[in-house]
Amino acid sequence: MAVVYKYQGSFMDRLESIDAFRKLQNRLAHDHDSSKPTIVIPAGTCAQASGANDLIRVTKRELLNRGLTDRIGLRITGCHGFCEAEPSVLIEPSGTFYPKVDVERMVRIVEAVAEGKVLNDLLYVDSSSSRKIEKQNDIPFFKKQVRTILARNEKVDPIRIYDYIENQGYNALVKVLKKGEPRWVVEEVKASQLRGRGGAGFPTGLKWELLANQRNGQGKYLVCNADEGDPGAYMDRSVLEGNPHSIIEGMLIGGYATGANQGVVYVRNEYPMAIKHLMIALRQCHEMGLLGKNILGTNFSFDIKLVRGAGAFVCGEETALIRSVEGKMGEPKQRPPFPVEKGIDGKPTAINNVETWANIPVIIAEGAKEFSKVGTKGSSGTKIFSLVGKIKNTGLVEVPMGISIKEIISDIGGGPVSKAKIKAVQTGGPSGGCIPADRFDLPIDYDSLTKAGSIMGSGGMIVMDENTCMVDVAKYFMNFLKDESCGKCFTCRKGIQRMYEIVEDVSKGEGTLDRLALLEELANVVKDTTMCGLGQTAPNPVLSTLRYFRDEYVEHVKNKHCPAGVCKALITYSINENCTGCTVCVKSCPENAIFGERKQPHRIEPEKCIKCGACKAVCKFEAVTVA
Amino acid sequence: MKTDEVLSILEKHEEDHSGLISILEDIQSKYSYLPAEALKLVAEQTGRSLVDIYGVATFYKSFSLKPRGKHLCSVCVGTACHVRGAPLIAEEFQRQLNVKASETTPDKEFTLEKVNCLGACAIGPIVVMDGHYFSNVNSPQVNQIIKKTKAGLDDAEIKEDRRVYLLDVSCPRCNHSLMDPSRHLDGSPSIRVTVSTEGEHGWLRLSSLYGSFTVESEFGLRTDTIEDFFCPHCHAELKGASQCPLCRAPMVSMIVRAGGVVQICSRRGCKGHMLDIDGSGL
Repeated sequence: MAVVYKYQGSFMDRLESIDAFRKLQNRLAHDHDSSKPTIVIPAGTCAQASGANDLIRVTKRELLNRGLTDRIGLRITGCHGFCEAEPSVLIEPSGTFYPKVDVERMVRIVEAVAEGKVLNDLLYVDSSSSRKIEKQNDIPFFKKQVRTILARNEKVDPIRIYDYIENQGYNALVKVLKKGEPRWVVEEVKASQLRGRGGAGFPTGLKWELLANQRNGQGKYLVCNADEGDPGAYMDRSVLEGNPHSIIEGMLIGGYATGANQGVVYVRNEYPMAIKHLMIALRQCHEMGLLGKNILGTNFSFDIKLVRGAGAFVCGEETALIRSVEGKMGEPKQRPPFPVEKGIDGKPTAINNVETWANIPVIIAEGAKEFSKVGTKGSSGTKIFSLVGKIKNTGLVEVPMGISIKEIISDIGGGPVSKAKIKAVQTGGPSGGCIPADRFDLPIDYDSLTKAGSIMGSGGMIVMDENTCMVDVAKYFMNFLKDESCGKCFTCRKGIQRMYEIVEDVSKGEGTLDRLALLEELANVVKDTTMCGLGQTAPNPVLSTLRYFRDEYVEHVKNKHCPAGVCKALITYSINENCTGCTVCVKSCPENAIFGERKQPHRIEPEKCIKCGACKAVCKFEAVTVA
Repeated sequence: MKTDEVLSILEKHEEDHSGLISILEDIQSKYSYLPAEALKLVAEQTGRSLVDIYGVATFYKSFSLKPRGKHLCSVCVGTACHVRGAPLIAEEFQRQLNVKASETTPDKEFTLEKVNCLGACAIGPIVVMDGHYFSNVNSPQVNQIIKKTKAGLDDAEIKEDRRVYLLDVSCPRCNHSLMDPSRHLDGSPSIRVTVSTEGEHGWLRLSSLYGSFTVESEFGLRTDTIEDFFCPHCHAELKGASQCPLCRAPMVSMIVRAGGVVQICSRRGCKGHMLDIDGSGL
């Protein structure tokens, strides 16, 4: 009989004791040959959208055809963070990094790995020094990061629980089970000074203590909030996709510490891969006895179910999330009573964000003392940000708390993407605000960002340059929030609508200075008189742009001019002297509004132009001006 | 809509105690929208008022009460995509398809929707067409995306595509080759197995090209039925050790001659598959 699986004897056998777990872990470690060259292909949503699936297929084909499957390993992982360079390939153990790989290059890479060579022509080129860099960890984007959470994505195939176990996975759980003191776990998390990574920054240990102190009559709930609704933020998706077992382990430890017996992971429906990987991981844990009754033969029982969201931003708010889990409309409720007293089905419930849960096994494994060495006094540990927008190196960056915005933007992000200067960074999603470039010295921690008129939020960091109109950004967020307001509070429902209308008038050149004053007043009313976090923070995008970029509003109002060339009513497209008459724009124009002879400068007919931007997108000579 | 289909969805969720939203999501993924009769049935069976069900169905954005088109086009208008020009992309789709956001073309081909963030912000603007991601989209590409979709996004050009290659497979029990050179599919020897479902027993031929989903069956094509697979030589059941990552049906496993194991989903019509070249399992 042919051997199908190396571990067929023990394949997915239930682990009846901690000793059985240790035995499995030791055997996995023993069988693993860390000197064997391994091709690591990140295949998170971003990477797959960029073509990683093709690379995986071709690699498998090459390894099979050349008979290399015993000599070279292949690991498919979640996101490593450097989305700009996707699809990319990492070679272990050398750490060689190849960005922007295509099918042809992949074939060469497999060949080179087999021969133990490095392909110099395919290496990453640092744009500031034009230097070629071989190793991933020497690339500026990775160098300044402290990748406590993200680096673990590189080590595991998210659909293989053995990968996770082999890499010290579930060791923190075992440590907690062996110790047998739930109280100690709570104290440890408190001592780590971990604060909620979802945005508000509530101390996690304190939340757990409150839950642990609730009487356990009919059970308690733990929730992982993976309703990552902030547009521009996707670190939770990447952790769930790339390392679902770390979340499960975190929740198991939380359950043991607080006496909760039921966990819920609430994932937004827009993340199909995160849902898929989590489902697989949950199933594996059930089969292996890491979830369910008598986990690893102890008397600790805990189960987790997955609940999908259905596209409502407000459900990230904890009381709305609870209602959604109960199968109701996701309308927030008055607090108190707080969820920790009365949550899902009236039972005590503690809700933590994905990244918070992912930090728990690290704290337990390393110890609170070690963990709190990273970061600042009031904000310990690392935080993952999604660095996106008008910046050269887009992707996920994990940095110690307290690092300055400047270091992230210039050193890790590599600065502006084009000639246009960076003027602001938006943090905290629709609840946050814009921080102008002259305040980029600001250290990133919960308190400094709040003082600057923004919030830490879940970690979206959207970079804006001179081609971004701040009025348009404010309009964008008001439009977003007026749609997402659940409608329960009048001031939120109508106030945001009115704020949107005023900002829209400004963007059309129809605003007045009086109206700007009204806008500010209205913003403060909405802030003070709504019930939940959505309404209370909704005016932030308007207030912060008014605070730092008032001149842009005034320019729209007084001179009917959009300096960034974004607000459609105030701009015209024209062709400048750079035009070579290549006629590419003529073919792209859907309205046939561009005229001119071949090899002669062209012109745009303003009456016909619908300002769709197609000509600007295709022009290679920067010959299309928007003013 | 078929009553028994909705009832089976309800039954499934009764077992796992998941809420109304999951029920509605499953109904929607079956019919692409929430038919009124289905909602009535849900109300009847769960004992909740129809007003409640309707409230939930209209509160959440991903539910649609109107039938949707064959292709679902989602244009991301999250902040990162917005600053990189997503509004122009959304307008261009509206112009070319001649519909507004959340509408369906009269020929029922396309439904256009704007979504707030798909979480692929680094490579925006993002458009997702029937689950296929398009990154860094600009307005001239809109037309190409629509054209490609009409031509079929899943259709790999088998002959030219370098990503497609032949897998020579054998039975995990008797090691006998499952290749059938007497009958070609996609221009290559097919894989022949025996399948049975509901008492019927017959042959099934699969394309041996990894990446092709071409099949031939003695019974014709029956989608959505789970079949038991057997080796035609030793008659052992070709049972895999895991469940399909897409639909949770049991997987069928075969040995790859060059090394490793290939697993395919036992549900006809499901494209779930895994090629595991070192055979270490999960």
